Amino acid sequence: MSLTVEPGSAEGAALLGNGASSGDFAGLSLRALAWRRLRRDKAAMVAMVFLLLVAFIAIFTPWIVGLMGLDPYSFDQEALDPALGSIPLGPWGGISWDHPLGVEPLTGRDIFARLLYGARVSLFIASTSVLFIVIIGTTVGIVAAYKGGWLDTLIGRLTDLILAFPFLLILIALSPVLTQRLEAIGFSPEWARFGYIIIVFVVFGWPYLARLIRGQVLSLREREFVEAAVATGAPTRRILFKEMLPNLWAPIIVYATISLPTLIAAEAVLSYLGVGIIEPTPSWGKMLSDSVRYFVIIPSYLFIPGTVLFLVVYSFNVFGDAIRDALDPRGSRNN
Amino acid sequence: MIRRILTGILILILLSMVTFLLFNALPADPAALTCGKSCNPQVIAANRVRLGLDQPLYMQYVEFVKGIFFGRTYGSGTATFECDAPCLGYSFRKGEQVTPLILKALPVTIWLSLGAFLLWLIPGVLLGIYASRRRGRWQERVTLGSALVGYSFPSFFIGLLLLFFVVIRWQWLPYPSYISPFENPVQFLQTMVLPWLTLALVYMAFYIRLTRNQLLETYSEDYIRTARAKGLKEGVVIRKHALRAGLTPIVTAAGLDLAGLLGGAIITESIFSLPGVGRLAVDAVIDADLAVITATVLLAGTFIITANIVVDLLYAVIDPRVRLA
Amino acid sequence: MRTKSMRGLGLVAVVASGALVLAGCGSSDDGGTASDTASESASESTGGEDPAAADGGNAGGTINVLTLEEQFLHIDPQRVYTGVDLAFLNGYMQRTLTAYKFAEGAEGVTIVPDMATDLGTPNADGTQWSFTIRDGVTFEDGSEVGCADVKYGVSRTFAQDVITDGPTYAISLLDIPTDADGASVYKGPYVTEGNDMAAFDAAITCSDDNKTITFNLSRPSGDFNYTVTLTAFSPVPAAADTGEGYDNAPVSSGPYKISEYTKGQKMVLVRNENWNPDSDDYRPAYPDQIVVQFALDPSAIDQRLIADAGDDQTAVTFAGLTPESLATVFAGGDPRFTERSVDGLDPYVRYLAINTQKVPNQKQRQAIAVAINRGELITIAGGDFAGSEGDGVIKPNLATDYEASGMWDGLLGGTVPSEGDPELAKKLIAESGEPMPAITYDYPQTPTNDKAAASIQAALAAAGIECKLNAIEAGQYYGVVLDPEQEGALVSAGWGPDWQNASTVIPELFGVNGGFNLSRVDDPAFEEMVQAALANTDRASQAAEWKELNKYAMEQAWAIPTRFGKIQYLWGSKVGNAYLWDAYGSFPFGELYVAQ
Repeated sequence: MSLTVEPGSAEGAALLGNGASSGDFAGLSLRALAWRRLRRDKAAMVAMVFLLLVAFIAIFTPWIVGLMGLDPYSFDQEALDPALGSIPLGPWGGISWDHPLGVEPLTGRDIFARLLYGARVSLFIASTSVLFIVIIGTTVGIVAAYKGGWLDTLIGRLTDLILAFPFLLILIALSPVLTQRLEAIGFSPEWARFGYIIIVFVVFGWPYLARLIRGQVLSLREREFVEAAVATGAPTRRILFKEMLPNLWAPIIVYATISLPTLIAAEAVLSYLGVGIIEPTPSWGKMLSDSVRYFVIIPSYLFIPGTVLFLVVYSFNVFGDAIRDALDPRGSRNN
Repeated sequence: MIRRILTGILILILLSMVTFLLFNALPADPAALTCGKSCNPQVIAANRVRLGLDQPLYMQYVEFVKGIFFGRTYGSGTATFECDAPCLGYSFRKGEQVTPLILKALPVTIWLSLGAFLLWLIPGVLLGIYASRRRGRWQERVTLGSALVGYSFPSFFIGLLLLFFVVIRWQWLPYPSYISPFENPVQFLQTMVLPWLTLALVYMAFYIRLTRNQLLETYSEDYIRTARAKGLKEGVVIRKHALRAGLTPIVTAAGLDLAGLLGGAIITESIFSLPGVGRLAVDAVIDADLAVITATVLLAGTFIITANIVVDLLYAVIDPRVRLA
Repeated sequence: MRTKSMRGLGLVAVVASGALVLAGCGSSDDGGTASDTASESASESTGGEDPAAADGGNAGGTINVLTLEEQFLHIDPQRVYTGVDLAFLNGYMQRTLTAYKFAEGAEGVTIVPDMATDLGTPNADGTQWSFTIRDGVTFEDGSEVGCADVKYGVSRTFAQDVITDGPTYAISLLDIPTDADGASVYKGPYVTEGNDMAAFDAAITCSDDNKTITFNLSRPSGDFNYTVTLTAFSPVPAAADTGEGYDNAPVSSGPYKISEYTKGQKMVLVRNENWNPDSDDYRPAYPDQIVVQFALDPSAIDQRLIADAGDDQTAVTFAGLTPESLATVFAGGDPRFTERSVDGLDPYVRYLAINTQKVPNQKQRQAIAVAINRGELITIAGGDFAGSEGDGVIKPNLATDYEASGMWDGLLGGTVPSEGDPELAKKLIAESGEPMPAITYDYPQTPTNDKAAASIQAALAAAGIECKLNAIEAGQYYGVVLDPEQEGALVSAGWGPDWQNASTVIPELFGVNGGFNLSRVDDPAFEEMVQAALANTDRASQAAEWKELNKYAMEQAWAIPTRFGKIQYLWGSKVGNAYLWDAYGSFPFGELYVAQ
């Protein structure tokens, strides 16, 4: 049994796999054409600019936050009202000159600083995971398709097995074990959590891409230019990297663009379930799951991280869709 | 087909082994967990024997598998009890056999999944058709764009917002409290509508998008052009020809998504206090209740593997071009 | 006693609030001392001989209990040890020889007879206690409860491999020899071989008419009649005992019985027709039905109580309000809530145990204590509503035994402000003569505890102490830290007395055989004083000893009391007799009624 289409679920497992539809991206070397199509999509361009801005902020967070005289870790009891369950003093969650987006209830930590630092964490985890997924998925996919035989069968069964696991449940259940193991080999608790989340994302993420790539390679092999290269006796490595890989970029880019927002959202889910990023490190998911409980008395606390997370994920989705359209003319609205 | 089923069974066996192994690596000693305040090494040792944890790992696995088919006996002295086949183990944390626990939770999850499934599949496909018919126009953009909104929020966020506003703030619905539809259909619907909506909002975008893409692809095929040229009504063209041809990936995705949910919709069940399989599993994880964790993981895996086989079968029914090899 | 555990939460939504004390193995109720004079009737509001019928205005209806828990940790009477669960089960289903009076304030920690005709009769030195069981006390099948049933119930506690998690006072107090390993020679009713039944039969004897039960104790106990308020001393019919399985379907001796118990969903209690009101002056048994709704989101519980709509008008809870709801309920004396909310002390002291195996140097332990920012921890737990600063493991509401320890006023080498004193901590480390080891802080993971951990880490860092955080899943927390192999140097904990005597605090927390000795104290001089205090039957001089020992422990910095906890409850507008019952820090479940 083989899957031709990844499930589109968002309830956990499929957070990783969704979106990567069965689109056949074969033969798309028309990068310039794609870029032209993409540029004509105004929504996609807005999304891209916004995402570049977010990336810029994430990279330069320490300087930006430092210049404003804020920091994400220091507690501020003065900003809280001990007589009302330690909620922020003042309206709008304690928004003031000192705290441009207010402070966190119970601790008085600055929300603006934590939001920016949280961007770093969320984007770091998502992009690192995607990077590994792409490397592993592509390699395994190519190897499976190219070597064929028992290796292909073995990889096929392995992906079947991994995809049969209830991902979210496994993720929660293994969290204590794996983070402890990582700490035991010298990771700090913070990095152990990062490492754990990335590992699980990668382990459950690569099979989808591997299948996609395998299918691509199998169909590419039948193409004339590859057959020609084989006929001329070109070495395997050359065929793979010079002939195949350029033709695989399209599905890889689409998959990566679509995976990023799902992983950012997945990180939020993990934090909600209590197995995400650990204190005192800020993360969007944690801010969101904390703030949901305060929605009645401090709506702004919910609104701020919620809006930011939404905008980023939405932009990624819009942008990812646009790229897919641009790269896949048949599905596109512009051809 | 036989080969596919055999492969499915092989994967299932592998799954059970890996699950068993993974969770034996949990640091919490299950025997120690059965032991209370006056815990001492003797009690832990006694419990280890009682739970069968003194045996080597492979024997525990064999016992487990044997239990599924033949049942097994737990305990010692006068405080023993039988666990009849299919025995998925005994939860010492809950003090109950695992099989009835799962049988009790399963209907909740089935209702939840099926309802949500219909709620996202039907509107999703319809909206996808609509978007494809309005290609390049603002209607398409609005449809696709707004579908992405639901998709861009984490599911817990949507669920909690719905719960807080619809139930608590505005009190349009009573607080969810699961009851069987045969017992009290009204309360059942009142309870399930928000969980269904939550899941549907999260899943629908993908189906709109998928349907639209599939249709756009088939519209350009010759036989559709022919059908149109023959002067067939647009609705007939879509229903009889385009949709049918483009159905395969939708069926696949739907089958696997449904299977994934049947294995437990962890977040949605948690938010709406639905006593389903997902909630059972999460609770087991918190308690380090190995028997229940193993059983629920296996159950979820079984659903996914079965769905794969069923989807393959459906292919052949839908699309005569596919032969079952 | 332990608080309601915070399971369920690590995942989903997590816990409520400040009350994170989970005592996984904690203690039982905090009950009262008080005296034996309160022998007449339990609750004043009970009117009449047949309470169900009398007070016609109050009888009937359904009380709803909302909880985030998936299920009761235990409902087997011998295994229940969570304060709130004890209050619930004792109030509705499990009768005990004596019970805490339904009353507000200090009266709520006094005892009244329940199944017994009076508060029990000790012999001259307090090593033997007798109780006579009233006529007409029955199980739910109508059979009469006698001495043999109570005795059988108590015997189950000895089956430590099956009857886990319950209090073990029966084992430590009854006069039964121990073997070389210190385990009792009696192994409970399920073991036949190598089990010294005769020893148990000698420790508890029944009169010929099966009415009078006599407990022979291994040491003097002036307040054994408080010990028997625990449901571990409730009757169990031997024929119905299914061991492990009894935890799902215990036989009721009270006015209600279980009609449905679906874990993760609900429990329904209905009237037990075979309960004889004439035999029970204690329980008014007003409502017709009690429904426990499990597995709810903690924020949602608060919001439902705030909204007060439909069935939630007759709702109460096991846990207190979460910090995020406090502003809504208590700000500005909102008239919607003033009549149906309460804010008071709970029985628990929240503290950080310092593992003396990991930090054997007293000066270094003191340095840790001095460095912690206690004020910030209280703010994180919810500010004024979370409680006040603590100065020992004995709380002021254990009035007889409480005395300011002076911990923060010089006991540790100087006056320590509530935000901690990193300079003094550094000085203490310098005086210790050894390099300060890096330490690990163990805590049950919840969002609130995570933030507290961040505060602790930062405060210790300011004093030059490196602290690693070890977040443990809430449900497994006490299992991990009670294991000496896994316990870290600094451990989050909470404890409340089992009854109004620090004998259920000091020896449990710091005694060699203490069930909750997270500090791993093994101090012979201290132990000797503890044993002396335990055997002292003069309550006044015993109290003086506890005060001294509390101070001794604080000076040793075996524990850092961070907070004398408080709790806030909100209930539905149609719930009658709702108040904070000091006996268990809970609602007085057995006395609640539905206002018609």
